[in-house]
Amino acid sequence: VRQDNRQPLAMTRRQFLASAAWMSGAVATGVGSWIVPARWANAAEGPIKVGIATDLTGAIGFAGNANANIAKMVVKDINDAGGVLGRPLELHIEDTASNESVAVANVRKLIQRDKVDVVLGGITSSMRNAIKDVIVTRGKTLYIYPQLYEGKECTPYLFCTGPTPAQQCDEFIPWLMKNGGRRFALPSANYVWPHVLNAYARQVIEKNGGEVIFEEYYPLDQIEYSATVNKIMTNNVDVVFNTVIPPGVGPFFKQLYEAGFGKRGGRLSCVYYDENTLNINAPYEMEGLASCLDYFRAVDASDPFSAKLQSEYEKEFPGSVLFCAGSAATGMYRGLKLWEAAVKEAGKLDRDSVAAALDHAKIAEGPGGPAEMVPGKRHCKMQMYTAVAKSGKYEIVARSNGLVDPKEC
Amino acid sequence: MESALNAIFEVLSFGAIIVLVVLGLGIIASMMGIFNFAHGEFVLLGAFTTYLVYKSGLPVWVGMLAAPVVLGAIGLALERTVIRRFYAAPIVAMLGTYALGLVIRETVRGLIGGLYLSIPEPVVGSYVVGGVQLSKWRLMIILITALVMTASYLLLTRTAFGLRVRAALENPALARASGISTDTIYAATFAFGAALAGLAGALVVPIFSLFADLGIRFLIQGFLAVMLGGIGTFEGPVAGAGVIGILSAALPWAVTPVLADVLVFVIAIVIVKLRPGGLINARRV
Repeated sequence: VRQDNRQPLAMTRRQFLASAAWMSGAVATGVGSWIVPARWANAAEGPIKVGIATDLTGAIGFAGNANANIAKMVVKDINDAGGVLGRPLELHIEDTASNESVAVANVRKLIQRDKVDVVLGGITSSMRNAIKDVIVTRGKTLYIYPQLYEGKECTPYLFCTGPTPAQQCDEFIPWLMKNGGRRFALPSANYVWPHVLNAYARQVIEKNGGEVIFEEYYPLDQIEYSATVNKIMTNNVDVVFNTVIPPGVGPFFKQLYEAGFGKRGGRLSCVYYDENTLNINAPYEMEGLASCLDYFRAVDASDPFSAKLQSEYEKEFPGSVLFCAGSAATGMYRGLKLWEAAVKEAGKLDRDSVAAALDHAKIAEGPGGPAEMVPGKRHCKMQMYTAVAKSGKYEIVARSNGLVDPKEC
Repeated sequence: MESALNAIFEVLSFGAIIVLVVLGLGIIASMMGIFNFAHGEFVLLGAFTTYLVYKSGLPVWVGMLAAPVVLGAIGLALERTVIRRFYAAPIVAMLGTYALGLVIRETVRGLIGGLYLSIPEPVVGSYVVGGVQLSKWRLMIILITALVMTASYLLLTRTAFGLRVRAALENPALARASGISTDTIYAATFAFGAALAGLAGALVVPIFSLFADLGIRFLIQGFLAVMLGGIGTFEGPVAGAGVIGILSAALPWAVTPVLADVLVFVIAIVIVKLRPGGLINARRV
């Protein structure tokens, strides 16, 4: 570009080799592996190995860290109470780094190097799809997936402990119609979860006499929504059933607020919104937003066990990594406890025996209430709650009458 | 009619945001001949500075005033320690600044815990003009962008400092022979570009909320804008930014958003193909 008397960066072969060696050393020893051994040991058989594969770093690191935290807490509690089958649990945590190709290599470590007895984790559906083959098919290991998701995952030996579209829509959408209106808009991020969830939501909306005004998909990193907001305002949409995700969701809700959607009585709704996402917008911009999940902090007031769990978590992990439902942390709790119940019933650890017991496992207590697997379906019945944001906090406005069926597989 | 007015306002305001973000990038690219891949992260740092000031209990606008100053200082420090080693090799400069950006981004991600944080606008609400809601803050951004753009243009074309900057760009050897310290000029230009990025970050963070990847989206659009507008002039990147900003906000009104996203790039590439030197291809500032 211009003459300059400086030399370009020069690198000798020796320097290159030195740094290359350092780099490959760092990669080989496995950055991002953690082992949490038990404080006591069973000399005869050794510990039971529990593998956690979750996104400790990267875009959804906030969710992954909550998953790892709750796993540490549950495993510690189980160990303090004497372990499972007289053996302590040893936790092996691998970082899936919000990146599927990194994840596959790290999960392979759990299977091949650590030879874990079960793997729990994965948050996004793309992550589950990337690692399930490594765990279930080639790894011949049990896999428990804890996040709310679009359903239709019916792989043998893969158990899901988060809410499905049926659980999030069947009672929620009629509530939205009663407390919002009949005209729905489905603005969505363009990936698998919104597409499949919307197909289900549309059925429920139409079955209940509602109408979908538009269903539209946006690039995942779109942050400008004026055209969408305009469409919502000019078509007199009553309910926005949102599946736009961060970073777009913040500017979208802000533009909706500025256009006066809430002021003219519009109802905002978003089924992944939990306590973590409350900070994306100012409280007045999301006043009245409705969500439907298996647990909210506001449930603590009526459910002493949830309250105890939440306060124990906060004591152990104070700070900004919250224990909430939208980021799979509640599903992780449920998954671990259901698996514990299954291993206790089976009395041994081989995959088929544990899977057979897990197929009908139950827990009497958990975040938001009890839970039980639906036999033959590998999905989990659970309590569901509808909450509305008021001044930056959720208030429970409806709760399911008993456990809700996942209606999968 | 209402809808059309509304569309024009929204499209203009997003165009202004992109211009604001690209201004600093364009100045560094045009005046120094290096493409700063850490520019998006400078925008992020501007947003982060605003957040820190706001969190310490001071009003948001104090943070917005502080951001360009802080970023100017950071830019100066980085130029003195890192960037100056890259002038001889523009390709290495791209990689180097990209690495710098990566370090900044991941550090900020760690500091904010990977979350999305809202920061309030200094002026909340909207004006209603003929049934159209005009967000006050977006209106402010349009005004500030116009002001900053004019001021930067005057600084570069009408002042003695601007003359030295242009001299250092066009013929560094002759500039040095004439007693201009190109070292100082480059450092000042880089710091100025970084300060503009800081300002942009501070102004847009109330709209987009604070998150670690705030800068990436703008980096790609900024890169496209500079390519489109042409390097070597002040007006080029600004015009390019205007085109990119307006296209990416206007196209979703006309076609499916997913298609619009791709179309912006297609149109930009076609224009670059037709005018390889950029929209404004002049040898002077």
